[in-house]
Amino acid sequence: MHDADQVPSPPSIEGYLARLEVALHGADPALAHDALIDAEEHLQAAVRRGVPVHQAIEAYGSVDEIAAAYRGLPADPAGKPDETSGRSVDPPSSDGSPRGAPTAAVATPAQVPAPRLRDVPVVGIWFDSRAWGALLYFGGVGFVVATGCFVWAVVLGSLAIGLLPIVLGLPLLVLLLGSARALCLVEGAVVQALLGVRMPRRVQPVHGVADVGFWQRIWCWLKDVRSWLSLAYLYANFPVSVALFSITLTLAVLSAAMVFGPLLQAAGLPFVSISSDDVTVRYLWTELKPAADGTIRLPMSLALSSVGLGLALATATLWLVRGLGWVYGHVVQAIQVARPQAILPHR
Amino acid sequence: MAPSLHDRLNKDLSTGTSWLVVLAVIARSDELIHGYEIARQLADEAPEGMSFKQGTLYPMLRSMEADGLVRSTLVPSTEGPARKCFTLTAEGRRVLASWAESWRASSRWVNRVLGETDARR
Repeated sequence: MHDADQVPSPPSIEGYLARLEVALHGADPALAHDALIDAEEHLQAAVRRGVPVHQAIEAYGSVDEIAAAYRGLPADPAGKPDETSGRSVDPPSSDGSPRGAPTAAVATPAQVPAPRLRDVPVVGIWFDSRAWGALLYFGGVGFVVATGCFVWAVVLGSLAIGLLPIVLGLPLLVLLLGSARALCLVEGAVVQALLGVRMPRRVQPVHGVADVGFWQRIWCWLKDVRSWLSLAYLYANFPVSVALFSITLTLAVLSAAMVFGPLLQAAGLPFVSISSDDVTVRYLWTELKPAADGTIRLPMSLALSSVGLGLALATATLWLVRGLGWVYGHVVQAIQVARPQAILPHR
Repeated sequence: MAPSLHDRLNKDLSTGTSWLVVLAVIARSDELIHGYEIARQLADEAPEGMSFKQGTLYPMLRSMEADGLVRSTLVPSTEGPARKCFTLTAEGRRVLASWAESWRASSRWVNRVLGETDARR
């Protein structure tokens, strides 16, 4: 039995959520975040309909049961089945035939998963969709999203601060904080899709209980650390994205040039064409002199070396962006799943 | 404590059927339906002795959404924060129809076998 169940059950939603959070310890933070929001929303809905708290909690299930149900979800945020752990429920197959109860009694032999190309050491990265997703993210998508968010945050932030003395800035500030959280959620969806790090799908309500007034809610928004974290993220993410975009693009273009330059030469195009023949070009470790027509052709050994080094650099680039994607995704995740004690008291 | 054989068989049975009934509850709703309402209807209509923990509904809905069977929308609420409501996708309707037919066939088969077993007692 889980330690969380040894604590006497307090008849409060907050107490239940605190115990559920303990029971979900070690689970994916984004998943735990969503599990807590699901539970909070459900229990509050039950209480609003007049169901006594203890009954609502009993009907919802013990924290261990609920934690087990969430832990049974696929590890892959895209919903692909987890190959290392069982699923709590069997979804229907894509052709509509049930994989559940009607056929559950039919035993099937254990299937040994076929070896995957992405598991091949070093070069398996070429078959890893996460690496290509990270390349796409850092090489363009992330830069565009970060730039758009930064422009929005700077424009609205400047307006809000400028208009604060005449009060008009306050609603703009609230709009800025609200939009920052929403933009972080959108950014999170993009990160999840391309970098494969699970993001929360829900924005946690800023108040622990539903029955708070408008101004109290505004005050909660202002004092909620996640609002400011999200805003800080929008500002800080821009220079980070610019740097990552530059690094990724430089490495990708350099790799491509080293591989495709010699290939284009093999197709009949010169490696380099210059107008003056009084120039010496150094490529890798060889000095090359242009021919009379100004074209420079790589000797075969240099061409093969260039292709080999280009492929090696491309492989290293994929590993680099894959690693950067993991780190970047978990930083974004940490910002989104922050749970300040003041909002959700642990009793 | 290890679960009894009865508990394990019950769990096996409910594992597949819970997906089917959740899809059916969403399908029969004329409008977007939120998680609490789905759970309430399932609990109200659950047969006696069948335990349904409402909290297990949400990971199930999450899996269904990942599989493209349901679509969720945040709907503003006057009672509190926006609620996540669900509707079936076209794929969800197709799977439900196909699955329900399989379930009926399986049910007829099981009932027929059980009927013969009862008759011999």
